[in-house]
Amino acid sequence: MSGVQLATPVRSAATVDIAVTGTALMHRYAPGRGLDPIDFQVAGPGVVAVTGRNGVGKSTLLRIVAGLLQPTGGRCDVVVGGVPRAPGARRTCVGYGAPELSFYDELTVAENLKFATEARGDAGAGAAAAAALAEVGLAGRERDRFAALSSGLKQRLRLAFAILFQPPVLVLDEPGSHLDDAGRELVARLLERQRERGLALVATNDEREVRLADQRIELRGRGVGDPA
Amino acid sequence: MPTSASSFAAAVWAILRKECRTEWRTRYGLNASLLFAITTLTSVSFAAGRLGDRADLLGALLWIVLLFASLASLHHGFVREVEGHTLTLLRLVASPAAIAVGKLLFNLAFLLVLELVTVPLFLVLMGAPPPAWGPFLAVLALGSLALASTSTLVGAIIAQTRGRAALFAGVSLPLLLPVVAAAVSGTRGQWQQGSIGSELKLLAGFTAAVLGASILLYDHLWND
Repeated sequence: MSGVQLATPVRSAATVDIAVTGTALMHRYAPGRGLDPIDFQVAGPGVVAVTGRNGVGKSTLLRIVAGLLQPTGGRCDVVVGGVPRAPGARRTCVGYGAPELSFYDELTVAENLKFATEARGDAGAGAAAAAALAEVGLAGRERDRFAALSSGLKQRLRLAFAILFQPPVLVLDEPGSHLDDAGRELVARLLERQRERGLALVATNDEREVRLADQRIELRGRGVGDPA
Repeated sequence: MPTSASSFAAAVWAILRKECRTEWRTRYGLNASLLFAITTLTSVSFAAGRLGDRADLLGALLWIVLLFASLASLHHGFVREVEGHTLTLLRLVASPAAIAVGKLLFNLAFLLVLELVTVPLFLVLMGAPPPAWGPFLAVLALGSLALASTSTLVGAIIAQTRGRAALFAGVSLPLLLPVVAAAVSGTRGQWQQGSIGSELKLLAGFTAAVLGASILLYDHLWND
């Protein structure tokens, strides 16, 4: 197995009903490319760092957890409130932020988040969007078009989207990318908050972000770019 | 907590509004479609004059203009999501079925706007006799529904493929041919005072079949 859970999960009786489990979980885009078989189990509350060299399958693992990608082998179970969530239903319980996530260039920052909230059928779309934007430091940028934002501000918007629904499971892929020092402090704050209300999975090779985690999944398989 | 039915309706409504808003701000498809329709009708009008006594040509010309004016835009809804890297965002906030229905409703609205401009212009420039409005609008409505539902489904299928432009033509041709043939025949028939019941049944049945297939397929289309 290529993945090893190194740290002992921190659990409490109150929130042990949030868990993510991988059983012989794997994904192949092509021979030698993707996520090698991995077994793991992590439970909330807590922050889990998913580490491993480039191309080893960190992003693939997070996409599977978020229900965006169907694994070619094994299974991935996400349990929230004691209830298993099917991949197609995970958008109601998983907040997702990743570099691949983009928004509509033609819409403003606020319109993009409001659309996301309305499409989920949540009431109070405007208030939820405003609160998320304020939390990531984008207050005052509501009327800017997404296309006009800098890379760092786009990353902050991705973080705002991920926490928009205050999800029990937060999945972040390279959350500190493009961010300045204040942005990295923001990531630390968001993870601290998530630690109190659920579970966060963070794919990163940044030691500062790894130190924020109390559990770790280290991927060691062969992946994209590995000459072996 | 919203019910699943109200969540579905909310997602469809949000996606429809988002589509209208982005189209309004970019005029990506509408301007090109209107340009094609108006240019074609004007050119044919100058070249061939008024075709009031040629019901066979009128029906064919109307649907050729509507088909080609709308086609590029109708299937492009999903392609734009892929090329703009926004499909992930959509999948994170709505079910595939809600996304597809939202896009279908937008395509229908797009066709409606196109027809509101094109059809009166067509009737005037071609010197067409007054249509039998009931049958004429029935053919127009069912033909548009068939065109929109087929284009939406094909657009969703090809969006994530590499040779999507070539694939769209290849997949669309056998699907759209019966739609256009029935619509042309029905349009001609209402001008010739004939019965168009069979054409309407064909368009309705075809649309129902495509929508049924869509319901079965949409949930599986974007499983990477």
